[in-house]
Amino acid sequence: MQAAPNLIFSNTETIPGMTITQSLGVVTGSTVRAKNVFKDIGAAFKNIAGGEIKAYTELLQESRNEALFRMLNDAAARGANAVVNVRFATSSVAGGAAELLAYGTAVVAQ
Amino acid sequence: MAGEEEPFVGLMIAGIVCACSVGPWLLSLVATFIYQPSKQKVLLERESQSAIKGDVISTLSKPFGGREVKQTKLLMASVVMSPSWVQMWIGGIMSLFGGQINVFTKVVDWARREAQQRLREKVQEEGFDEVINMRIETTMLSRTKGGKDKTSGVEILAYGTAIKY
Repeated sequence: MQAAPNLIFSNTETIPGMTITQSLGVVTGSTVRAKNVFKDIGAAFKNIAGGEIKAYTELLQESRNEALFRMLNDAAARGANAVVNVRFATSSVAGGAAELLAYGTAVVAQ
Repeated sequence: MAGEEEPFVGLMIAGIVCACSVGPWLLSLVATFIYQPSKQKVLLERESQSAIKGDVISTLSKPFGGREVKQTKLLMASVVMSPSWVQMWIGGIMSLFGGQINVFTKVVDWARREAQQRLREKVQEEGFDEVINMRIETTMLSRTKGGKDKTSGVEILAYGTAIKY
């Protein structure tokens, strides 16, 4: 994985301490991921006991970072230096795969 | 000779079948009433530790008091929790009658508190003062089994903008 572009991103409408001068539209990044069969079996066993399933927590964290990274790349390609109002959406696709989506508004801020 | 051995072999097979079907349920019962409460107790201790200085996370969209902000960063914390077999079974029976299903409320509430607590700890780790505009997102994770969707867990994501004064 390449280094993420050096952008400021926040889930507030403005970036505290900066003023937004230009809006460059909505940027999105998404990924669909599945864990391997062995980890799924491990998770099924953990299901008996309940509580946290670490394999899935890690999977979703990794995938969310990937989605965020793609969104930031999209923003950087448009010449933005910040992304505001970042939101996350997750949906589980059948077959043990999950889709992670990150979206926000690319802006130029000073 | 054969007549003496047969009941013994039959008993052994019966024992194995019994252990295979009852074993996971016993494990689940132990986990529900001993393992889960112990984890929840640890969480409560962590929560009361970080509550000494007051809560650092808020859902306000602007920093309170209009103070000058030096640095911001988006922080995320998430957790996947699942109810145990026993809890699923109790929940299944209780959903016949309707009303509040206490076992599921407990698990989801636990997961939400855990995610928020992780966010609090992350803020401290990264050296920020506060988190504003905190949002919580919930997703059901399910796996398909025999054409039916079975819930295998619930994911809670807590995220917000960390600020440094």
